[in-house]
Amino acid sequence: MKALLKKDIFVLIRQMRMFLVMIVVFSVLPGMNMSIFAIVYCGMLPYTAMAYDERSKWTQLAAMMPYTPGDIVLSKYALGWLAVGFATALSAVANLILGHFIPSGYDSSLSGMLPSFCIGLIMIAVTLPPMFRFGVEKGRMFFILLIVVLACGGAGLVQGVVGSDEEVPAALNAFISLGVPALAVVLTAVSIPLSVAMYKRQKYA
Amino acid sequence: MNAIEMKHVNKSFGDFAIQNLDFALPQGAICGLVGENGAGKSTTIRLIMHALRPDSGEISVLGVDNASPEFQQVKEDVGIVLDEAYYPETLNAKQVGSVMADTYQRWDAAVYEGYLKRFDLPPKKFFKDYSRGMTMKLAIAVALSHSPRLLILDEATSGLDPIVRDEILELFSEFTRDPGHSILMSSHIVSDLEKLCDYIAFLHKGQLRFCAEKDALRDEYGIVSCAKAQLADLPAEAVCGVEQSPYGARVLVRRALVSSAFQIERANIEDIILFLVKGEKNA
Repeated sequence: MKALLKKDIFVLIRQMRMFLVMIVVFSVLPGMNMSIFAIVYCGMLPYTAMAYDERSKWTQLAAMMPYTPGDIVLSKYALGWLAVGFATALSAVANLILGHFIPSGYDSSLSGMLPSFCIGLIMIAVTLPPMFRFGVEKGRMFFILLIVVLACGGAGLVQGVVGSDEEVPAALNAFISLGVPALAVVLTAVSIPLSVAMYKRQKYA
Repeated sequence: MNAIEMKHVNKSFGDFAIQNLDFALPQGAICGLVGENGAGKSTTIRLIMHALRPDSGEISVLGVDNASPEFQQVKEDVGIVLDEAYYPETLNAKQVGSVMADTYQRWDAAVYEGYLKRFDLPPKKFFKDYSRGMTMKLAIAVALSHSPRLLILDEATSGLDPIVRDEILELFSEFTRDPGHSILMSSHIVSDLEKLCDYIAFLHKGQLRFCAEKDALRDEYGIVSCAKAQLADLPAEAVCGVEQSPYGARVLVRRALVSSAFQIERANIEDIILFLVKGEKNA
């Protein structure tokens, strides 16, 4: 798996310089929305790596090399986790530093970082199985659909729970700080074996 | 022991099928897998490496069933070169070496660097800027740098100029000086296979038409050049293919079945294959 991860990093660093600069910029911009944007962006890096694999036909060669289907699948998850972790860490450090320089009204707490990190993991867990089954082109459609559902569903949830009152109720807070991480763990645990099965199905199709 | 053994292998894709493929590559031998485009050569190679699952039949590589978990370890002993290198185009040779060092347990960086020097491959030039010859040389350097016992080459010499092809064939010939090393090499450049191989396997429309020692094939078949009127004098069972022109006929025959009254020329492998394919089309 280390070899595959290394290969993806070599490819992404070379191909995605501007993309990586944007991730760094969004990570350090003040405000949680920008951090979430950077983290979601990072969650998309495995699809980019898969698209390059497809373009170079690497997947055909890899199927004949001493990589197990588990290696091939896990390397993409690990890439996503590393990228999401990197953006989260960068945002956290930037938040702490900015908190010292922006005198008032700036929320420098790290409370939003864990849920943001977990949203990145959820995105990876939900979107990678269809990518392994249908390829990146068709899989991306699924990703767009997911984003629309999450955006509408999230807005609806907040609107329904918070209503016109600006105060965030304790239940929603509890869901964000406990429910989202739990959901990330459960979805990841289900997603990995599903992706391995999808990869095998596509490979032997 | 056979380096590769396929028994009654079938694989259907709807409009194309590999049918009842029985094939063996003895250890220490070089076998050329020949056939026109779409004959099933690449599919056969994917089946051998378990990148495709057969509908039925058994395949073993270096004595291990390729559907078994142990086959994962056998892949360490197999060097693969496909018709293109299939490495991401933004990698350079140095990075490819670094990735392969974490892929193969017996990766030998010194051997790899030796091949890069021998092939004049710049280690830091991006793969996308390589010529086709350089691309294939890189793939061959990778395949030979982890001490393989078996090389599987899919159209590894196609599209290369004769000088590079000759250089690469020489390298394969060096590889098989070790009696434990074997090569399966698919190509539609029959002259390359004829130069290098001990065995020739001819695949046509997904079926193995023959797999035999190259010299035995040359001994078995011959070509008779005669007038069209003389065709009837040849025993029907001896005739494998006929090529007619306004000036006469050339006939691929089984030497043993033709009387000494006919002058029989030596047939090369390309003649044999062309006559067999044309014979079938004209039938």
